[in-house]
Amino acid sequence: MFSVIATILVPFGVSFCLFHSVTQGPNLLPVLSTIIIAPIIAALLVMIAPEKYARWISLGVASFVLGLGAKLFLNYQASISGFQFVEEVPWLKNLGISYILGVDGMSTLMVLLVACVYFAGSLISWNIALRKKEYFVLFSLLVGGVAGAYESLDLFFFFLFYEFAVLPMYLLVGIWGTGRKEYAAMKLTVYLLAGSAFMLVGFLAIYFTSNVHTFDVRALSDLSATGLSVSFQNTWFPLLFVGFGVISALFPFHTWSPDGYGSAPTAASMLHAGVLKSLGGYSIIRVALPLMPDGAKHWLPYLAILALINMLYAAIVALKQTDFKYVIAYSSVSHCGTILFGICTLEAAGLNGAVIQTFSHGIVAAMTFALVGTVYGKAHTRELAKLGGLASCMPVLGALFVAAAMANVGLPGLSGFVGEFLVFLGSFQSGFHGGFTIFQALFPIGVLAIVLTAIYYLRLVQMVFFGGVKDPHAKEEVKDGTFIEILPIAFLLIVSLAVGLYPKPFVDMSNLSIAPLIEHIGGFK
Amino acid sequence: MIQVQAFLPELWLVGAAFLLLIVDLFQKPNSSKTLVKGISIIGILGALFSLCCVSGCGSCPISSCCSMESLPTAFGGFLKTDALSVFFKLVILLATLFTLLITFRHFKTNPTHYLTEFIAVLLFSAAGASALTSAQEIITLYVALETLTISSYLLASFMKKDKASNEAGMKYLLLGAFSSALLLFGFSYLYGFTGTTVISEIGKSLATQVSSPLLTLAVIMIVAGLAFKISLAPFHMWTPDVYEGAPTPVTAYLSVASKTAGFAAFVRLFWVGLSVPALQPTWIGLFAVLAVLSIILGNLEALTQKNIKRLMAYSSIAQAGYISTGFLAGGQLGLTAVLFYLFVYLFANMGVFLAISIVSAKTGSEQIEDYAGMWKRSPLIGIVLLVGLLSLAGVPPFAGFSGKWYLFGAAISKGYTWIALVGMIFSVVSLYYYLQVARQALVSAPKDDSPIEMSWIERSVLIICVVFIVTLGFWPTPVMQIAQSAASALFN
Repeated sequence: MFSVIATILVPFGVSFCLFHSVTQGPNLLPVLSTIIIAPIIAALLVMIAPEKYARWISLGVASFVLGLGAKLFLNYQASISGFQFVEEVPWLKNLGISYILGVDGMSTLMVLLVACVYFAGSLISWNIALRKKEYFVLFSLLVGGVAGAYESLDLFFFFLFYEFAVLPMYLLVGIWGTGRKEYAAMKLTVYLLAGSAFMLVGFLAIYFTSNVHTFDVRALSDLSATGLSVSFQNTWFPLLFVGFGVISALFPFHTWSPDGYGSAPTAASMLHAGVLKSLGGYSIIRVALPLMPDGAKHWLPYLAILALINMLYAAIVALKQTDFKYVIAYSSVSHCGTILFGICTLEAAGLNGAVIQTFSHGIVAAMTFALVGTVYGKAHTRELAKLGGLASCMPVLGALFVAAAMANVGLPGLSGFVGEFLVFLGSFQSGFHGGFTIFQALFPIGVLAIVLTAIYYLRLVQMVFFGGVKDPHAKEEVKDGTFIEILPIAFLLIVSLAVGLYPKPFVDMSNLSIAPLIEHIGGFK
Repeated sequence: MIQVQAFLPELWLVGAAFLLLIVDLFQKPNSSKTLVKGISIIGILGALFSLCCVSGCGSCPISSCCSMESLPTAFGGFLKTDALSVFFKLVILLATLFTLLITFRHFKTNPTHYLTEFIAVLLFSAAGASALTSAQEIITLYVALETLTISSYLLASFMKKDKASNEAGMKYLLLGAFSSALLLFGFSYLYGFTGTTVISEIGKSLATQVSSPLLTLAVIMIVAGLAFKISLAPFHMWTPDVYEGAPTPVTAYLSVASKTAGFAAFVRLFWVGLSVPALQPTWIGLFAVLAVLSIILGNLEALTQKNIKRLMAYSSIAQAGYISTGFLAGGQLGLTAVLFYLFVYLFANMGVFLAISIVSAKTGSEQIEDYAGMWKRSPLIGIVLLVGLLSLAGVPPFAGFSGKWYLFGAAISKGYTWIALVGMIFSVVSLYYYLQVARQALVSAPKDDSPIEMSWIERSVLIICVVFIVTLGFWPTPVMQIAQSAASALFN
């Protein structure tokens, strides 16, 4: 019976995707809630269904969510802009908490990203053998939490969904991880929740200090109504920035990230690096900047230095790694530095760059982690010293990895370029506009990080895929990726190419949120 | 006029306890205990039911239609059951019900001839705790408190042949007696200053007086005496030893029911009696220190524990610290937060203790490392440990998160942002040791594959706990409303 359901579910999901992405009519479902609830229902279904259908359920629901994500992206009304698809249910009235979901241009991109990575992650988990049911339950719950965090416009629910996502992550790393998995899982969880401790206190402080008595971000963004004083902003902005920054592996709170990704199972590192990590930068733009613009103007030039250290330091460390996956993990930290640096410029170009880079990093990091996981599954080692010449026995995966490396490096035509270009453009402009010449000084150092990225990725390609085969048996034993392994990677590559070749719709979409924000804040003056 | 509704729940409990003692006289030592179990459960259910019938629905918090006229009072106003006491009683009675379940499980594997006495003493203790919540006068309050604690001394040392249990009881008795003496000493000063023992009269009388060192001394002694009962640092020294040595049901009972009663006493005494401008800064400052100390010490000392009951002891110290932050913030918001958190704490702690008693009945061990592989031996216990402990740690989507949000929110609303910050940071520390247990239960490979059996009642109670904790995390509104109307009873 379940095979019948599974075989119906997947085509249904895909057709729903096609159907809904073209319809412009009224929404039959509350789209945003459905995106959150669908993975949670998937988790419940997996729990009761026999084990062998777990992956089918996950894939079916993932394609359904992908359809909804595409629908959201295509149906967002650029002419109206602002928050759309809004759902609002009062929760605790006298405490100002409501269940509010809504997306603007920026979060539409993020929800699309979540949907893409969920789809790819479901496919890459196809051959999980250990405790299969629990794996897909946790994986689906993780997605539900992340999607909720991106869609929430209420700080209480934002926090709830975010931490809801951290918990499955702990178990995914702890149970299905490799290496020092229990240490890594604990470190990751404690770091992320330590960051959120500052967030929670910050949110409550904002609530009780402001005059509007609500956790609704839209109402709180109106500075004349909230009346948050400059000194309050100057105290809380850096704390919130660091709290959010921990999620995005801000230096010096980044060390959870390489250990966590080094140990996590492939799909978990894809989702975390691709989606959960981006939440930090996203929430700075969504919450910290509009709520406390004066604090932002005061602190961002200094915080930019931390972001810069992120970029450079992580890139230098990546050069020296001996573990395949750790290189990618540090590369991800370095890219998050670019995102944070873009935010610090407080320029339209820089912030748009940060958003596009978030999207691009999500796709590209997920793709790279998928590749590393697949290669590791075949070569059974991640030590660079033992790998080599794999291109001869896995040509397709090799080619895909080169493409992924180029996307990471920021080769024009792939998504990485667009984001990085805009970020550095913003940094340069910021120097002119605000008189903060510090950004002009930082600019060349930032570009240096790109050079380093090129060096360590080319080193990686050379060490893993080219050169002589280290292990003589490898030639016979190591096979190229199967269709089901290639499919998610190719899918992500296509998305990256789409953004790289025709970035206009994406940049426009992001600008719908960024332009009003910059107007609201006013840049460095 | 005496309205029997004012102490109806206590009557049920005491009645059931006496009935048990009489029944025990006629039972053979090795006969079936079904009758005993039945009477005790009926006693508690009756008490719970009578809560809803206190004076029609006059003070039933669910109907939230309580007015001053309809409040049942007895003994010249010394006992008065308002919505606040009903809420506290609800938590205490539910905790006692859970304790009974744990008791049945515990004594199945540790047979004793004295099960009936144990349950009778437990019911007497619950009656004391329950009466405490409606006491409007310090002597009544003291007598109720002593009924609770003296019974607890007996319960803690109940395993006569077990050295640890004896040590626990003795330690608890010595330190408990000392703290009770301090409390009584403080009360005598209060009486000396005001000439009355009624708490609300004390408040009125003190409002006209200026602060004096002796009055401050009285406040300090009262705080110290009561802080002992809810194990706030630095009066927490007895907690780990007693919690570890006492039989598991007693540990569970002390950690929830006894603590709830302690907070009930605190709320009445301080927010009604001592809530005067001359004294308030003193005791709020004291509580701030105690709360922060408990949060820090409780969490730090829990980090290295190997025994799960000892870990829960330190955890309960930290939890008392969190609850105190809401208590010291006070007002409608703070007290609502305290009530809500106590309710959540009840389900989380009791679920975990029930799981502990089921596991140690099978394995005979209380070491955390022996929880390895629970996901294979009994997935439900694994889930209960995860959900219950993470709720205590305050991780969403579990109810403990909503609870902490309100507690710390209340603290921040009164300007105690730093306490909230300490509380949140140490919640993260606490996550480390809670996750150690969850890790053993859900991640590690089992040393022994044999499944852990439980009765259908235990299974359904554990499921109820999980459902409650998860639901209250997402949808706290109904319980919050009840807690709000209960808290507002104090300010009418």
